[in-house]
Amino acid sequence: MSRFYVYAILGEPPATPLGSGISAEPLTLLTSSDLVVAVGVMDEPPVATREAVLGHDAVVRRLAEGSTAILPTRFGMVHEASVLVDWLATAADGLRDALRLVTGREQMTLHVFEVEGAVEGAAVEAPDDSDAGTATGPGARYLTQRRRQRREATLPELAPLRSRLDGLIAAERIERRTTPPFRASVYHLVERGRSAAYRDAVESHRDLVRGVRLRVSGPWAPYAFAPEAVA
Amino acid sequence: MSPRHAPTEALLDEADASLLDLVDNVLTKGVIIDGEVMLGLAGVDLVYLRLTAILCAADRIKKYLG
Repeated sequence: MSRFYVYAILGEPPATPLGSGISAEPLTLLTSSDLVVAVGVMDEPPVATREAVLGHDAVVRRLAEGSTAILPTRFGMVHEASVLVDWLATAADGLRDALRLVTGREQMTLHVFEVEGAVEGAAVEAPDDSDAGTATGPGARYLTQRRRQRREATLPELAPLRSRLDGLIAAERIERRTTPPFRASVYHLVERGRSAAYRDAVESHRDLVRGVRLRVSGPWAPYAFAPEAVA
Repeated sequence: MSPRHAPTEALLDEADASLLDLVDNVLTKGVIIDGEVMLGLAGVDLVYLRLTAILCAADRIKKYLG
Protein backbone atom coordinates (compact mmCIF):
# COMPACT_ATOMS: atom_id res chain seq x y z
CA MET A 1 0.00 0.00 0.00
CA SER A 2 1.30 3.48 -0.90
CA ARG A 3 2.48 5.80 1.81
CA PHE A 4 2.32 9.57 1.54
CA TYR A 5 4.57 12.37 2.73
CA VAL A 6 2.31 15.16 3.97
CA TYR A 7 3.12 18.83 3.27
CA ALA A 8 0.08 20.82 4.27
CA ILE A 9 -3.65 21.00 4.95
CA LEU A 10 -5.41 23.44 2.65
CA GLY A 11 -8.75 25.18 2.75
CA GLU A 12 -9.21 24.64 -0.98
CA PRO A 13 -7.33 23.08 -3.93
CA PRO A 14 -4.51 25.44 -4.96
CA ALA A 15 -5.13 27.67 -7.95
CA THR A 16 -1.54 27.12 -9.09
CA PRO A 17 0.20 23.95 -10.36
CA LEU A 18 1.11 21.52 -7.57
CA GLY A 19 4.56 20.73 -8.93
CA SER A 20 6.80 18.20 -7.23
CA GLY A 21 7.93 17.45 -3.68
CA ILE A 22 11.27 17.16 -1.88
CA SER A 23 12.13 13.85 -3.54
CA ALA A 24 10.96 15.07 -6.95
CA GLU A 25 7.78 13.07 -6.47
CA PRO A 26 4.68 14.59 -8.12
CA LEU A 27 2.33 16.17 -5.61
CA THR A 28 -1.28 15.16 -5.39
CA LEU A 29 -4.30 16.12 -3.29
CA LEU A 30 -6.27 13.92 -0.92
CA THR A 31 -9.67 15.31 -0.01
CA SER A 32 -11.99 14.60 2.86
CA SER A 33 -15.18 16.61 3.04
CA ASP A 34 -14.07 20.26 2.60
CA LEU A 35 -10.45 19.61 3.66
CA VAL A 36 -7.60 19.12 1.23
CA VAL A 37 -4.25 17.52 2.03
CA ALA A 38 -1.22 18.06 -0.22
CA VAL A 39 0.90 14.91 -0.36
CA GLY A 40 3.54 13.11 -2.38
CA VAL A 41 4.08 9.36 -2.62
CA MET A 42 7.04 8.40 -0.41
CA ASP A 43 7.69 5.12 1.35
CA GLU A 44 10.18 6.30 3.97
CA PRO A 45 10.53 9.60 5.84
CA PRO A 46 13.35 11.75 4.47
CA VAL A 47 16.52 12.46 6.43
CA ALA A 48 16.42 15.98 7.88
CA THR A 49 19.22 17.47 5.79
CA ARG A 50 19.37 21.19 5.08
CA GLU A 51 18.24 20.53 1.50
CA ALA A 52 15.29 18.42 2.60
CA VAL A 53 14.12 20.97 5.18
CA LEU A 54 14.53 23.79 2.67
CA GLY A 55 12.64 21.66 0.16
CA HIS A 56 9.75 21.10 2.54
CA ASP A 57 9.44 24.82 3.12
CA ALA A 58 9.70 25.55 -0.61
CA VAL A 59 6.78 23.21 -1.30
CA VAL A 60 4.76 24.80 1.51
CA ARG A 61 5.47 28.28 0.13
CA ARG A 62 4.41 27.23 -3.36
CA LEU A 63 1.18 25.76 -2.04
CA ALA A 64 0.55 28.92 -0.01
CA GLU A 65 0.83 31.03 -3.14
CA GLY A 66 -2.08 29.14 -4.66
CA SER A 67 -4.28 28.88 -1.60
CA THR A 68 -5.62 31.50 0.78
CA ALA A 69 -5.58 29.15 3.77
CA ILE A 70 -2.77 26.72 4.56
CA LEU A 71 -1.70 24.79 7.63
CA PRO A 72 1.82 23.44 7.09
CA THR A 73 2.54 20.03 8.56
CA ARG A 74 5.74 19.25 10.44
CA PHE A 75 8.68 17.90 8.49
CA GLY A 76 9.01 14.17 8.06
CA MET A 77 5.51 12.72 8.24
CA VAL A 78 4.81 9.68 6.13
CA HIS A 79 1.50 7.86 6.49
CA GLU A 80 -0.72 5.42 4.70
CA ALA A 81 -3.76 6.95 3.00
CA SER A 82 -6.18 5.16 5.32
CA VAL A 83 -4.46 6.66 8.38
CA LEU A 84 -4.66 10.12 6.82
CA VAL A 85 -8.34 9.80 5.98
CA ASP A 86 -9.21 8.53 9.46
CA TRP A 87 -7.19 11.32 11.07
CA LEU A 88 -8.84 13.98 8.89
CA ALA A 89 -12.28 12.81 9.96
CA THR A 90 -11.29 13.01 13.63
CA ALA A 91 -9.42 16.31 13.38
CA ALA A 92 -11.76 18.11 10.98
CA ASP A 93 -13.30 20.60 13.42
CA GLY A 94 -9.96 21.71 14.82
CA LEU A 95 -8.46 22.00 11.36
CA ARG A 96 -11.36 24.13 10.12
CA ASP A 97 -10.99 26.49 13.09
CA ALA A 98 -7.27 26.81 12.41
CA LEU A 99 -7.82 27.34 8.69
CA ARG A 100 -10.27 30.16 9.45
CA LEU A 101 -7.66 31.86 11.62
CA VAL A 102 -4.90 31.74 8.98
CA THR A 103 -7.03 32.57 5.93
CA GLY A 104 -5.40 35.41 4.01
CA ARG A 105 -2.63 35.67 6.61
CA GLU A 106 1.06 34.84 6.99
CA GLN A 107 3.51 34.56 9.85
CA MET A 108 6.20 36.96 10.99
CA THR A 109 8.61 36.01 13.76
CA LEU A 110 10.53 38.01 16.34
CA HIS A 111 13.38 36.09 17.96
CA VAL A 112 14.41 37.66 21.25
CA PHE A 113 17.97 37.29 22.54
CA GLU A 114 19.59 38.41 25.76
CA VAL A 115 22.15 41.16 25.39
CA GLU A 116 25.51 40.39 26.93
CA GLY A 117 25.91 42.37 30.14
CA ALA A 118 22.25 43.41 30.31
CA VAL A 119 20.48 43.07 33.64
CA GLU A 120 18.38 39.93 33.67
CA GLY A 121 14.75 40.83 33.10
CA ALA A 122 15.51 44.44 32.25
CA ALA A 123 12.39 46.00 30.84
CA VAL A 124 10.96 49.40 30.22
CA GLU A 125 7.81 48.31 31.98
CA ALA A 126 9.08 46.57 35.09
CA PRO A 127 6.78 43.82 36.36
CA ASP A 128 5.18 44.40 39.73
CA ASP A 129 6.47 41.68 42.03
CA SER A 130 6.53 43.82 45.13
CA ASP A 131 4.44 41.38 47.15
CA ALA A 132 6.03 38.19 45.81
CA GLY A 133 8.11 37.63 48.92
CA THR A 134 5.32 38.34 51.40
CA ALA A 135 2.42 36.50 49.74
CA THR A 136 1.60 34.01 52.47
CA GLY A 137 -2.15 33.41 52.21
CA PRO A 138 -3.72 31.28 49.47
CA GLY A 139 -5.39 34.32 47.86
CA ALA A 140 -2.16 36.31 47.77
CA ARG A 141 -0.23 33.34 46.41
CA TYR A 142 -2.89 32.87 43.72
CA LEU A 143 -2.69 36.51 42.66
CA THR A 144 1.10 36.41 42.60
CA GLN A 145 1.01 33.29 40.47
CA ARG A 146 -1.55 34.84 38.10
CA ARG A 147 0.61 37.96 37.77
CA ARG A 148 3.66 35.82 36.97
CA GLN A 149 1.71 33.81 34.38
CA ARG A 150 0.39 36.99 32.78
CA ARG A 151 3.90 38.43 32.62
CA GLU A 152 5.26 35.28 30.98
CA ALA A 153 2.41 35.29 28.48
CA THR A 154 3.04 38.87 27.43
CA LEU A 155 6.86 39.21 27.48
CA PRO A 156 7.07 42.68 29.12
CA GLU A 157 10.43 43.44 27.51
CA LEU A 158 8.58 43.89 24.24
CA ALA A 159 5.61 45.85 25.56
CA PRO A 160 6.71 49.24 24.14
CA LEU A 161 7.18 47.72 20.69
CA ARG A 162 4.17 45.44 20.89
CA SER A 163 1.77 48.37 21.28
CA ARG A 164 3.14 49.86 18.02
CA LEU A 165 2.36 46.62 16.19
CA ASP A 166 -1.22 46.24 17.39
CA GLY A 167 -2.79 47.33 14.11
CA LEU A 168 -0.81 44.76 12.14
CA ILE A 169 -1.27 41.67 14.28
CA ALA A 170 -4.22 39.29 13.99
CA ALA A 171 -2.88 36.70 16.44
CA GLU A 172 0.18 36.18 18.62
CA ARG A 173 1.97 33.21 20.11
CA ILE A 174 4.92 33.48 22.49
CA GLU A 175 7.36 30.67 23.10
CA ARG A 176 9.89 30.98 25.92
CA ARG A 177 13.35 29.52 25.27
CA THR A 178 15.54 27.76 27.79
CA THR A 179 18.83 27.94 25.89
CA PRO A 180 20.52 31.31 26.66
CA PRO A 181 21.08 33.73 25.08
CA PHE A 182 17.90 32.72 23.25
CA ARG A 183 15.08 34.10 25.41
CA ALA A 184 11.89 33.78 23.36
CA SER A 185 10.28 33.62 19.97
CA VAL A 186 7.18 35.68 19.29
CA TYR A 187 5.03 34.65 16.36
CA HIS A 188 2.66 37.11 14.78
CA LEU A 189 -0.03 36.42 12.24
CA VAL A 190 -0.35 39.34 9.81
CA GLU A 191 -2.44 39.93 6.71
CA ARG A 192 -0.70 38.72 3.57
CA GLY A 193 1.18 41.57 1.95
CA ARG A 194 1.69 43.39 5.26
CA SER A 195 5.02 41.81 6.16
CA ALA A 196 6.99 44.80 4.85
CA ALA A 197 4.88 47.15 6.98
CA TYR A 198 5.51 44.85 9.96
CA ARG A 199 9.28 44.94 9.37
CA ASP A 200 9.19 48.71 8.98
CA ALA A 201 7.27 49.08 12.23
CA VAL A 202 9.74 46.86 14.10
CA GLU A 203 12.73 48.74 12.69
CA SER A 204 11.16 52.12 13.44
CA HIS A 205 10.51 51.26 17.08
CA ARG A 206 13.38 48.87 17.79
CA ASP A 207 15.02 51.44 20.07
CA LEU A 208 12.07 51.27 22.45
CA VAL A 209 13.07 47.77 23.46
CA ARG A 210 15.81 47.60 26.09
CA GLY A 211 17.86 44.73 27.45
CA VAL A 212 17.22 42.33 24.57
CA ARG A 213 18.19 42.02 20.94
CA LEU A 214 15.57 41.32 18.28
CA ARG A 215 15.80 39.41 15.03
CA VAL A 216 12.88 39.63 12.60
CA SER A 217 12.13 36.96 10.06
CA GLY A 218 9.38 36.24 7.61
CA PRO A 219 7.05 36.11 5.95
CA TRP A 220 6.50 32.41 6.58
CA ALA A 221 3.58 30.13 6.07
CA PRO A 222 1.76 30.05 9.41
CA TYR A 223 3.72 27.14 10.92
CA ALA A 224 3.35 28.44 14.47
CA PHE A 225 -0.42 28.76 14.11
CA ALA A 226 -0.96 25.27 12.78
CA PRO A 227 -2.28 23.23 15.68
CA GLU A 228 0.17 20.57 16.79
CA ALA A 229 -2.45 18.11 17.88
CA VAL A 230 -6.01 18.36 16.68
CA ALA A 231 -7.05 14.73 16.81
CA MET B 1 2.12 1.53 11.07
CA SER B 2 5.02 2.51 13.30
CA PRO B 3 6.32 6.10 13.41
CA ARG B 4 9.79 6.67 11.94
CA HIS B 5 12.36 9.07 13.31
CA ALA B 6 14.23 11.39 10.96
CA PRO B 7 17.71 12.26 12.30
CA THR B 8 18.61 15.88 13.01
CA GLU B 9 22.35 15.30 13.23
CA ALA B 10 22.82 16.17 9.57
CA LEU B 11 21.68 19.72 10.33
CA LEU B 12 24.20 20.40 13.05
CA ASP B 13 27.23 20.81 10.82
CA GLU B 14 25.44 23.04 8.38
CA ALA B 15 24.16 25.65 10.75
CA ASP B 16 23.69 29.29 9.75
CA ALA B 17 21.45 32.12 10.76
CA SER B 18 18.66 31.39 8.33
CA LEU B 19 18.60 27.81 9.46
CA LEU B 20 17.36 28.90 12.87
CA ASP B 21 14.01 29.79 11.34
CA LEU B 22 13.90 26.68 9.21
CA VAL B 23 14.53 24.50 12.24
CA ASP B 24 12.07 26.50 14.29
CA ASN B 25 9.28 26.41 11.74
CA VAL B 26 9.68 23.23 9.75
CA LEU B 27 11.02 20.88 12.43
CA THR B 28 9.23 22.10 15.55
CA LYS B 29 5.99 23.67 14.32
CA GLY B 30 3.16 22.63 12.08
CA VAL B 31 0.37 20.14 12.26
CA ILE B 32 1.27 16.75 13.71
CA ILE B 33 -0.77 14.02 12.15
CA ASP B 34 -2.28 11.27 14.22
CA GLY B 35 -0.42 12.42 17.32
CA GLU B 36 2.90 11.32 15.86
CA VAL B 37 6.01 13.24 16.92
CA MET B 38 8.84 12.61 14.52
CA LEU B 39 11.77 14.37 16.15
CA GLY B 40 13.13 14.14 19.66
CA LEU B 41 12.96 17.45 21.51
CA ALA B 42 16.45 16.98 22.89
CA GLY B 43 17.87 16.92 19.38
CA VAL B 44 16.01 20.06 18.37
CA ASP B 45 17.17 21.88 21.51
CA LEU B 46 20.73 21.01 20.57
CA VAL B 47 20.21 22.52 17.12
CA TYR B 48 18.86 25.70 18.74
CA LEU B 49 21.81 25.92 21.07
CA ARG B 50 24.33 25.62 18.26
CA LEU B 51 22.46 28.09 16.06
CA THR B 52 22.05 30.75 18.73
CA ALA B 53 25.72 30.49 19.65
CA ILE B 54 26.63 31.04 16.01
CA LEU B 55 24.20 33.95 15.69
CA CYS B 56 25.64 35.70 18.74
CA ALA B 57 29.21 35.12 17.59
CA ALA B 58 28.35 36.58 14.19
CA ASP B 59 26.88 39.67 15.84
CA ARG B 60 30.06 40.26 17.85
CA ILE B 61 32.18 39.98 14.71
CA LYS B 62 29.91 42.38 12.80
CA LYS B 63 30.25 44.91 15.61
CA TYR B 64 34.05 45.04 15.09
CA LEU B 65 33.76 45.13 11.33
CA GLY B 66 31.80 48.30 11.60
